[in-house]
Amino acid sequence: MTSSTLLHLSEVTKRYGPVTALDSLTAEVPPGRIGVVGANGAGKTTLFRILLGLARPTAGVVEVRGVSVADDPIGVRSRLGYMPEHDCLPLDQTAADIVGTFGEIGGLPARAARQRASDVLDLVGLDEARFRSVGGFSTGMRQRTKLAQALVGDPDLVLLDEPTAGLDPAGREEMLALVARLGTFGISVLMATHLLDDVQQVCDHVLMIDAGRLVVSGLTESLLERTGVVTVDVGGGDASELLLGELAILGLTAEMVDGTVEMALETENDLDRLRDVIARLELPLYRLGSRLTSLDEVFMQRAAHR
Amino acid sequence: MTSTRPVTDHHPTGAVYDRGYRPYDGPRGGRRAATFALYRASIRRALGIRRSWRQKVAPFVLLGIVTVPAIVNVGIAYVTRDSIANRIQFITYREYVGVSSALLVFVAITAPDIVCPDRRQRVLPLLFARPLTGVDYVIAKVGALFSILFAFSFLPQVVLFVGQALVSDSALDYTRDNADILWKVPVAVALLALFYAVIGVAIASLTSRRIVAGASFIGLFLVSSITSGILVGDVQEQATGSAAALINVLGLPLYLRDLVFLGQIDPESGLKGVQNGGLYAVLAYAAALGLGIAVLLRRYRWTER
Repeated sequence: MTSSTLLHLSEVTKRYGPVTALDSLTAEVPPGRIGVVGANGAGKTTLFRILLGLARPTAGVVEVRGVSVADDPIGVRSRLGYMPEHDCLPLDQTAADIVGTFGEIGGLPARAARQRASDVLDLVGLDEARFRSVGGFSTGMRQRTKLAQALVGDPDLVLLDEPTAGLDPAGREEMLALVARLGTFGISVLMATHLLDDVQQVCDHVLMIDAGRLVVSGLTESLLERTGVVTVDVGGGDASELLLGELAILGLTAEMVDGTVEMALETENDLDRLRDVIARLELPLYRLGSRLTSLDEVFMQRAAHR
Repeated sequence: MTSTRPVTDHHPTGAVYDRGYRPYDGPRGGRRAATFALYRASIRRALGIRRSWRQKVAPFVLLGIVTVPAIVNVGIAYVTRDSIANRIQFITYREYVGVSSALLVFVAITAPDIVCPDRRQRVLPLLFARPLTGVDYVIAKVGALFSILFAFSFLPQVVLFVGQALVSDSALDYTRDNADILWKVPVAVALLALFYAVIGVAIASLTSRRIVAGASFIGLFLVSSITSGILVGDVQEQATGSAAALINVLGLPLYLRDLVFLGQIDPESGLKGVQNGGLYAVLAYAAALGLGIAVLLRRYRWTER
């Protein structure tokens, strides 16, 4: 583990009776904005609960900024912020009261907690509404209040569990913009979601989990580059059909998308073989480019190959 | 990393500033600070502070109700100060500990109010994501209710004592003659407040619905009181009482009150004449308290194994 490691997970396993929620999860995660992605039930929330010291791993070691969660859960929690997926706010209190109280419970002196509550509510766009009861808030405002309470203690790391759940498109964009800003404040973000688009938009590192097992961990950019697909434009129509048929005979994976041929590069020689086929068929080559795949495709591909 | 960036500088009259994010580098407390913060938040909630006026009614009506006997007593003492009747006490300090059923109603309203919404509105995961353990949570919640019950039981006693001292011939003599009250009252009140706080919060911890918790609390006291009454029978007509009187949960802290004030079980109580009745009362009190604490620690043992 290097000194710049945010999370160190070593063979982390969590079993609930016969159900294995996490299975030998091992990863080194650097500081920054990290997306934890996986389908519902993949083990994202279990991982969060373990990081918070609220669940003990059946086996393995979990360290946050070099501090073992098993040895010092209180110490780890004192520098973490947590935004759960579910509703979790006292509905009969004002946003300022809730965030201020959580600031105090997080260890801040009363006056500092009230001041920071005001600051972070301003930051998340609830400055005007901070003295209103949360019971009258929209879903978006409640999500912002949840984010504010996670930030009020000035954490080193915030755990955001599905922060865009239930938001309309505009609210989702605003929430993602807020999450993206956190990195500039020196706060690392661990964002659990099943929406890979969200991760692709704001996270610079991805941790993919499927059925409790690590699918892949790496920089978002590198994942997108490594799993490239080439787009070949040979004029469309019959020419594309001809190329597609020839590629299929050679056992290359390709499909027609909007008149162009998209071919997966599965071996190092695939690009050379494509070139040779086009030359042999004497087809015009108007465009040959690498298409960046979405994280959805990366996930599906890696999960299928695991 | 404080940033103060002018968003616009086109208007000569001023500028709007995006204050950005300001890191906090001041002091931070640990578990103790977190527990104390939750304790204060629970007291604020119980007293209706920072809440609507409706939430303020119950605590202050209770305070009024429990203070009335003291005021009446002092008033009678003042009116009869020059007559032969000036030795008549409407209520004694011992009787004044736990005499008001308004206190029970207050616990039935307040204990669920400071505990049930945390579970019903799923606030507990947020609380336990802070430097706070299940034990700290229990200490904060029980401590908050204990403090309010102690204050609301002790303040009327202060009114009674100060009032009686002032209307007596000599306040100094009155204080000297009743010096034992100065420790007996706080000890007895503390035993009562602790019992009600632990049992009230323990029952409330078993459900997320306030109405169910409040009704269960009142129901426990009513059922145990009636059952005990049937088993013991009419104490006035019997030479001795029965150990079955210990079934009355309501009576347990009052037996300890009598031990504090009288050094023995009250000869008028359901435990009169029962061999080792005082010891049994202490054991029953401790057992009920222990059961309540065990329930609480179990309910708030938050870390999964």
